[in-house]
Amino acid sequence: MTAIGFSRGDLYYLLPELIVCTGALLLLLADVALSQQRQARAAWVAILSLGAAATLLAVMSASETTIARGTFAVDGFAIFFKLLFVMSAAVTVLLSHRYLTIEGGRPGEYYFLVLCATAGMMIMASGIDLIVLFIGLETMAVCFYILAGFLKPNRRSNEAAVKYFLLGAFSLALLLYGMSLLYGLTGSTALRAIATALASGSSGRLLAVAVMLLVAGLGFKIAAAPFHMWAPDVYEGAPTPITAFLSVGSKAAAFAMLLRIFFEGLPAFHLDGLGSVFGQPLGWASFFYVLSVLSMTIGNLAALTQTNVKRMLAYSSIAQAGYMLIGIVAGTPRGVSAALLYLVVYAFMQLGAFGVIVLMRREGVAGDELRDLAGLSSRQPAIGIAMLLFMLSLGGIPPTAGFMGKVWLFASAIEAGYFGLAVIAVLNSALSLYYYVRVVVYVWVRREEPGTPPIVLSRAMIVALAFAAAGTLALGVYPRILFELAQASAASLGRAEPMLGWLR
Amino acid sequence: MHDWVPILIMLGFATGFAAFNIGASKLIGPKHPTPEKLAPYECGMPPVGDARERHPVKFYLVAMIFLLFDIEVAFLYPWAMALRELRWVGFMQLIVFFAILLSGYVYVWRKGVLDWGRDRD
Amino acid sequence: MMAHLLTLILFTPLAGAGLLLCVPRAQEQAIRWTAAIVATLGFLLSLPLWFRYDFTATGWQFAERAEWIPSIGAWYYLGVDGYSALLILLTTLIGAIAVLCSWAGITERVKEYYVSLLILQTGLLGAFMAVDFLLFFLFWEVMLVPMYFLIGIWGGGRRLYSAIKFFLYTLVGSVVMLLGILALYFHGHSVTGAYTFDVTELQQLTIPFALQKWIFLALFFGFAIKVPMFPFHTWLPDAHTDAPTAGSVILAAIMLKMGTYGFVRFSLPILPDASRYFVPLVAALAIVGIVYGALVALAQTDWKRLVAYSSVSHMGMVMLGMFALTPVGLTGGLLQQINHGISTGALFLIVGIVYERRHTREIAEYGGLSKAMPVFAAVFLIMTLSSIGLPALNGFIGELLILQGVYIVHPIWAGVGAVGIVLGAAYMLWLFQRTMFGTLDRPENASMADLGAREIVTFAPLIALAVWIGIYPAPFIRRLEGTVTRVTARVNPAAQPAVAGVPAAAGPALNDTGAGTGFNPTLVTCDSAPAAGPKPSATPSAPPDFVTIASCADSPSKPAPKPAPKAPPKKPGGR
Repeated sequence: MTAIGFSRGDLYYLLPELIVCTGALLLLLADVALSQQRQARAAWVAILSLGAAATLLAVMSASETTIARGTFAVDGFAIFFKLLFVMSAAVTVLLSHRYLTIEGGRPGEYYFLVLCATAGMMIMASGIDLIVLFIGLETMAVCFYILAGFLKPNRRSNEAAVKYFLLGAFSLALLLYGMSLLYGLTGSTALRAIATALASGSSGRLLAVAVMLLVAGLGFKIAAAPFHMWAPDVYEGAPTPITAFLSVGSKAAAFAMLLRIFFEGLPAFHLDGLGSVFGQPLGWASFFYVLSVLSMTIGNLAALTQTNVKRMLAYSSIAQAGYMLIGIVAGTPRGVSAALLYLVVYAFMQLGAFGVIVLMRREGVAGDELRDLAGLSSRQPAIGIAMLLFMLSLGGIPPTAGFMGKVWLFASAIEAGYFGLAVIAVLNSALSLYYYVRVVVYVWVRREEPGTPPIVLSRAMIVALAFAAAGTLALGVYPRILFELAQASAASLGRAEPMLGWLR
Repeated sequence: MHDWVPILIMLGFATGFAAFNIGASKLIGPKHPTPEKLAPYECGMPPVGDARERHPVKFYLVAMIFLLFDIEVAFLYPWAMALRELRWVGFMQLIVFFAILLSGYVYVWRKGVLDWGRDRD
Repeated sequence: MMAHLLTLILFTPLAGAGLLLCVPRAQEQAIRWTAAIVATLGFLLSLPLWFRYDFTATGWQFAERAEWIPSIGAWYYLGVDGYSALLILLTTLIGAIAVLCSWAGITERVKEYYVSLLILQTGLLGAFMAVDFLLFFLFWEVMLVPMYFLIGIWGGGRRLYSAIKFFLYTLVGSVVMLLGILALYFHGHSVTGAYTFDVTELQQLTIPFALQKWIFLALFFGFAIKVPMFPFHTWLPDAHTDAPTAGSVILAAIMLKMGTYGFVRFSLPILPDASRYFVPLVAALAIVGIVYGALVALAQTDWKRLVAYSSVSHMGMVMLGMFALTPVGLTGGLLQQINHGISTGALFLIVGIVYERRHTREIAEYGGLSKAMPVFAAVFLIMTLSSIGLPALNGFIGELLILQGVYIVHPIWAGVGAVGIVLGAAYMLWLFQRTMFGTLDRPENASMADLGAREIVTFAPLIALAVWIGIYPAPFIRRLEGTVTRVTARVNPAAQPAVAGVPAAAGPALNDTGAGTGFNPTLVTCDSAPAAGPKPSATPSAPPDFVTIASCADSPSKPAPKPAPKAPPKKPGGR
C-alpha cells in the first residue's frame, strides 16, 4: 500500500470521473483553439466523453467497493446515479446544440461547465465522507451558478445567476455548518465512523441542530419547500437546457448525497428529549415528512396559476421533490428504491418537457409561455404526442413511467404506515393533473396563433426528445428492469467494503 | 516548549528585520512628501470617494487569476518535500496536476485576460 | 391463436391506432374505413369468448400469464369469467358501433379522433381482462386520457370544462382507490409472505374487519365515482352532454360498467365482511340515486341530459341489485349492466342522430318526428321500451331479477326501486311523446332524413340483442352464473349452499333445459333454497344488522308471491 496518492484500483474506479474531467479540459482548450465555425464540434467531444464514461460505468456496474481510503464508494447506488447523471448531461448537450446558436453563447465554455457539473455530481453520488461530498457539491454548484447566467445580455439570466449564487452559497454555508457540528460531535468526517460513533453515544440536542442544518442545506439543493424560493426565478431565467439539467441532475445529485448522509451516516437517528408526534419518536424522517408535505402542496398550488411553462415546471419540480421525499420518509429499502426509481423516471419526463420548451425557442420567440405551445400538435404531431406523454407522466397517468414511479412511492409510504402522507400525496397528484392537462389542452386543443415562425427540428433535438419519450413510455409499460436496478442499488447502499485483490 | 524556541527566534528576527528597515529608511532616505504619497495606500484606487465607481473588470480578473495560480503553486511545496517518498507515481500525479493547471492557463491567456494592451470589449 | 386470444383482442385496437398514425391526415375516408375494419375485426376476434366459453370451468378462462414486474409481484395476467366475457363482447360491439356512428358527425381532426377511440377501446378491454390488480388499475387510468380528448376536442357546449371535470373526478377517485389496492397488497404480504396483485389470491385472504372497512371505503370511492353513485354523479351529466355521440355511447355503455365491475370483481369477493357492513349505506345511496336521477331526468329540457340522468337512475338500480348480495339480485345487477349498455348506448345514438341533423338537443325544438322519420321512431320506441323495462325486451329481465333479489332481503327497498321504474317510464314515454308525436310544425324537422343504411347497421345489433335478452336470456344468465356463485360464496355464504350445490349436479341438465324453462338457474335455486334445508342464516362474522338480509333461505315465504304473479303472465307473452 502506498502511503500517499492513488493506487491502481483507485484510478481504475475513478476512470469515469476522470474521463468526464478530461473531456471537460479538452472542451476548454477547444473553445480557444477552434475557429468560430467549427465550434459546433465541441458538442461531439462532450457526447463522446459522456458516452465513454457511461460505457465504463456499465462495465463496472457489478462493483461494490470503497476506494481512496474509504472516502469514495463505488457501489450499485453510485453507479446507478452516475449513469443517471451522464444520461441527463448527454440529453442536455443534445438539447443545447441549437439553442446555443440562437442565443449566441460559446459552446466550448458551455459544455465544459456542463461536464464539470456532471463530474461534481458523480463525486456526490460516490462520496461517503463529508469532505468528499462537499467537494462534489461545490464543484457542481459553482458550474451551475455560471451556467444559470450564461446568457450574458439577458437580464433574467443575470438575475437567476445572482439569486442562485447568493442563496446557493447561503445553503452551502448551512450545510457546512451542519457537517462541522457532526464532525465535532463524532470526531470523524467518514459517514460510517459517524454512524458508529452515534450508535454508541446518546444523541443530544446539538445533533438535532446539526441534522436540521443538514436538512435545510440539502433542502435548498433539492428545491423542497420551504427552501424552494430560489427555484422559480432561477428556472425561469436560466437557459432552458440548463434549467432542465439543473432540475434533473442537481436534484438527483442532492438526493444521492442526502441518501448517503442520512442512510449511511445517520441511520435510525431519533432525537432524544424532543418528544414524539403521533407515537413516533422525532427523527430526521419527521423533518422530511414536513418538507415533503409542504413541497407537494406548495409546489402544486403555486403551479396552478402559472402561465409561463418554465415557471410552472419549476413549481412542479418542487412538488416532484416532495413526492420523492416520501421514499426518504418511509426510510425502508422499498422507500429508497422508490425514490431512486422516481428520480430516473423524473429525469426522462422532465428533460423531455424542457426539451419541448427548448424546441419552441426560435428566432424572435421565447417559446416558454403557455400560449406559445398552442397548436403544437397540428404543426408537429410527433412532438405533440411526446409532450402529451411527458405531461401525463409528470401527472402520474399510466401507461407512462411517472405512474409506476408514483405507485411505488405511495406503496412505500403505506408499507411504512404513513397513511396520512399517502393520502396527501395522492390528492396532490390528482390536483397536479389540472395544470399538466392545461399544457395538453394548449398543445392539442388550442389553435396556433397565425404568423408565428415555424418549428424546425434539428437532428440532435429529435434524438434527445425521442430518447426521453421512449424512456417515458417504455418504463411505464415494462418497468421491470428499472425496478430491479433500483432495488439492487438501494440495497447496495452502505454495503461497500474496501477492495481486496490485485487492484488494491 | 523546547520545540518552539526556534520559531520564537525566527519571529524575533522577522520583527527586527522589519523594524530595522522601516527605521533605517526613515532616518536615511530622502523625503519629498506629496498628498498621494501620504495617502494610506496606493494601488490604483483613490482611497476616498464614492464607492459605487466603475472599475475595469480586468483588474479583478487578474487579481483572481493570481490568487488561483498562486494557491495552486503552493501545492508544489509539500510535494517537493515528499518527492522521494512519492517516487514516480507522485511525480506523474503532479505532472497531471500541472497539465490541468496549464490548460487553464492557456485558456485564460487565449481568452485575452492577460492582454492589457488593447480594449477587447 | 386461442392461447393468446385475450392479448389479441386487447391489442387489436391499439395496433389499429398505430396503423392509423401511418395513414396521411388528408385521407379521411381511408382513416374511417381503417378504423371501421379494425373495430369490426376486434368484435369478430372477441366472438370466441361467447362460443368457446366453458360452462364447467371454475377458474379464469382464456387465461394468459406472463412476467411483468416480477420483483414486486405484478403479472401480465389476463383472464375472463362469464361476466367479464360478456362485458368484453359488449365493449367490442359498442366499439365498432362507435366508429360507425361517428362517420358523418366527425369532420375535424379525423385521424386523432379515431386514434383516441381505438386507444380508449384498448383501455376498456384491458380493465375487463386484467386479473392482476395493478394491471387493472393501469388500464383503468389509461382510459381517462383518450376520453378526455374525445370530450375536450370533439365535444360541444362547455366541452373543456366537462372534460376536465370528468378527468379530475375520476382521477381523485382512482388515486384513493390506488391506496386501497396498495394496502391490500401489503396486507396480503403480511399474511402469506408473498407479494401479489393477483385477484384470485387476494380473494382468498382473511382480512381483519377494521382494515376491510378502510379498504372498502377507498375502493368504493374510486368505483362509486365511476358508476356514478348519487353524491358522486355530478360529472356525469356534463360529460355525457358535451361528449360527441360516440363518446357518450362508450361512456354510458361501457365506462360506467367499470365501476360496477370493480365492485363485483374486487370489493365484494375480497372484502366480504365490509361489503356486508356497508350494504345499508350503499343501498341507501343507490335508492336515492334511482329516485333522484329519475326526478331530475323528468325536469330536463335537453334530450341528451335527460338520457344522462336516466343513467344515474339505472345504475342506481344496478347497484341496488348487486348489493342485495343474493344470487338473484346479483344476477339481475350483472345482467342489467349489459342491458343498460345496450339500451342507453342506443339512446345516445338516437340523440346523436337528431343532433347531427338539427344541431340542437332541446326537446322543445322537436315534435312529430315519427311522421318525418318513421324508421327512426320505431327504433327509438323499441329502445325506450327496453329502457323502461317492458316485457319481451331486455330491461324487463334485469329489473325483474333485481327487484326480486332485493325484495328477498328488504321489501321496502324493492318498493322504492319499483317507484324508480315507474318514474323511468314516465320520463322516457314523455320524452317520446314530446319528440315523436304531436304535430310536425317545424319545416326544418319535416325535412329531416330518416335513418340511412349505415345508421340502421349501427342500431341493428343493439335491437337484436335487446330482443334476444328479452325473450331468451338463459345463455346470458348461464354465463353470469359462475361469477355469481363465486361472489356470493365469498360475500354471502349463507345464501350459498343452495346455489353452490346445484351447478355441479344440475349444470348440464339446466343447460339442456335452459331453452325450455326460459329462466335462469339461479332463480330456480333460490326458490328451492328452503328445500335444501333450513340453515342457520347468519355466519358468526356477519354484523348483527345483516341477519335480516343474509339469505333467501331465511325468508322462504317472501319471494314466492312477488315473482309469481309477475313472471308467469309476462313470460309467455314474450315468447
